[in-house]
Amino acid sequence: MSGALILHDLQQSEAEQFLPKDTAKYSLFAAAPAVRHCMGCFRCWFKTPGRCVIDDRAADFVALMSKHEELIFLSRLVFGGLSPDIKAVLDRSIGFVLPFFRKLNAETHHVPRFDISPLYKYIFYGPEITDREKETAKKLAVANALNLGSGRCFVSFFSSSREGMEALT
Amino acid sequence: MKAVIINGSPKAQDSASELIAAYLQARLAQAADCSVCHAARYSRDEIMRAFTGCNALIFVFPLYVDGIPSHLLRLLDEIQNSVADVASGAAVYCVVNNGFYEAHQNAVALELMGNFCVRSGLRWGQGLGVGAGGMIAAAPIGRGPLKNLGKALDALAENIRNNKTADNLFVKPNFPKFLYNAAAHMSFRAQARKYGLKTKQLYDKPRQ
Ligand SMILES: Cc1cc2nc3c(=O)[nH]c(=O)nc-3n(C[C@H](O)[C@H](O)[C@H](O)COP(=O)(O)O)c2cc1C
Repeated sequence: MSGALILHDLQQSEAEQFLPKDTAKYSLFAAAPAVRHCMGCFRCWFKTPGRCVIDDRAADFVALMSKHEELIFLSRLVFGGLSPDIKAVLDRSIGFVLPFFRKLNAETHHVPRFDISPLYKYIFYGPEITDREKETAKKLAVANALNLGSGRCFVSFFSSSREGMEALT
Repeated sequence: MKAVIINGSPKAQDSASELIAAYLQARLAQAADCSVCHAARYSRDEIMRAFTGCNALIFVFPLYVDGIPSHLLRLLDEIQNSVADVASGAAVYCVVNNGFYEAHQNAVALELMGNFCVRSGLRWGQGLGVGAGGMIAAAPIGRGPLKNLGKALDALAENIRNNKTADNLFVKPNFPKFLYNAAAHMSFRAQARKYGLKTKQLYDKPRQ
């Protein structure tokens, strides 16, 4: 377990040009072109624990997550949240946690599947991001980090994907 | 008046969202021309056609990773610049249900929907957060454990009929948290058995 996993929604040409190439430090996962969306069947909890039953590249994402101590979402900001491409991968990855409940900060959350507590970094980009959207995004990151088995998250905003990527390295 | 209910659960059937949508549709039927569209089964063009001339757009969906399910999010992203052209002045109402007991965990998703309204130039009507979604199929809405849910949906339907804006509501279930959590854990074990797995195996780590 080491390094950071970057889940990004860039087009291939842009990703190749700007994303870090240091493969010892960073693993990349392209959310575009879009993977299939979750069907809500919960078989990633009860039939093939930790793996989505839809057999495309997103099915490996949970295993990939478990091998990194940092997860970076490089995402276009959409309504104060993740972009549809990124969200499609994440919805398919709830097998990262167990179905079982536990109590954290007086709320119900899931028990982790893996003995790791990753740092979640949200790098949001987009023109004309509003303050209201920023507030939503910060709350979302806190909620996600708790549900994904860690209290640690970090959120930043950039006006273009390129600036967001430059801030990475 | 004309209203469309979007069922944003990706499940083909037997979703909590479907039950909520059906309940709302029945409450609105007398006053409105009100249809239900299943977002995962309709194309964007079909949904835009359904939205045409609407006074109210009603989104009913499950909480997914503290947000909007990706297929519904994609639809909203694609229509944000054009939806106000076909449904100008329409108000948006939302019912979000989640798997945990606490209804307030749906608050962020309602904010995301509010931001969609701002971006698209639609008017925010009202949002409902519904916790303990696993119970929604357990009784008729409005009875016993789902009494408060029935009341909240009745109030929402009233606001939709009167084209009113109201504060978001978070529905408190009519049963205690420990009972819901115990029932949820029992159902986890039952679902594992259905696939021939022992409870212990649910902890397995996937290989790549
Ligand atoms: C991919 C996925 C993500 C989920 N994320 C959450 C969550 O973040 N918080 C929560 O309380 N429940 C979560 N749930 C549980 C659903 O919100 C819950 O099962 C809901 O009742 C499903 O509604 P439906 O039957 O209308 O689809 C998630 C379920 C799935 C399949």
